Amino acid sequence: MDSLIPFTTSGALVDCVDRKMLVILRDGRKLHGVLRSYDQFANLVLENCYERIYHQNLFAERNHGLFLIRGENVVLMGEIDLDKEDDVPLKQVEYHLLEPYHLKELDDKKIREEAKAHTLLHTKGFSKEGGEGDGY
Amino acid sequence: MLPLSLLNAAQKQAYELKNGETFNGHLVQCDNFMNITLREVYQTSAEGDRFWKLKECYIRGSTIKYLRVPDQLLDAVKEEQNRAREAGRNARGGHGPGGRGVRGGRGGPMRGGPGVGRGRGRGA
Repeated sequence: MDSLIPFTTSGALVDCVDRKMLVILRDGRKLHGVLRSYDQFANLVLENCYERIYHQNLFAERNHGLFLIRGENVVLMGEIDLDKEDDVPLKQVEYHLLEPYHLKELDDKKIREEAKAHTLLHTKGFSKEGGEGDGY
Repeated sequence: MLPLSLLNAAQKQAYELKNGETFNGHLVQCDNFMNITLREVYQTSAEGDRFWKLKECYIRGSTIKYLRVPDQLLDAVKEEQNRAREAGRNARGGHGPGGRGVRGGRGGPMRGGPGVGRGRGRGA
């Protein structure tokens, strides 16, 4: 029966509709919500959507409500096991308490990435994608 | 209901672009590329420290990361579609009760086995 639906965007996602999903975006955001709809671009509609941030063994949530995500920004999506959801060994705290740590983590990462890119491009002989020297 | 038809029905929205800037405003128009025109817009910089008020603005669809839409919208669109379907049925002279679901499509059991009885989305 499964083979009747070809493995396309639509084929892969029908079973996820009305399930609680975790969506990770290209900017690193982690969104939880119930998948209500999608299309051929994998644009997604998430209901009761909230964003989660993590720091060490703490996490915090921020509510977003109804969310429409442009498909190209999605890295991955996975179903959340409702039975195991509450068993995570993490402690929830207020969002505004955790946010500064989260932002600092993002900043640090950005600085690290910039340093890495600098080394690769200037001392290791790498070229930028599509830039000079990138013939492929 | 497809994501873009939801967008079509929306009126007041918050947008975030890929570069992190956000736009809050009333939707004037949008198309299938997700290009959008807004009115009475509040623009916020990616760092969240600077703000602009714009009378009107146009956003190219490809720069959008995500949109926040009002929660009530989902219900509103559902109702609208039900009304449209009802109107369509009456216009065709009406089927009797049970006229629907001949193909086992809409309104069938939500999870009647893989791929059975699933139209688009959840029959909305």
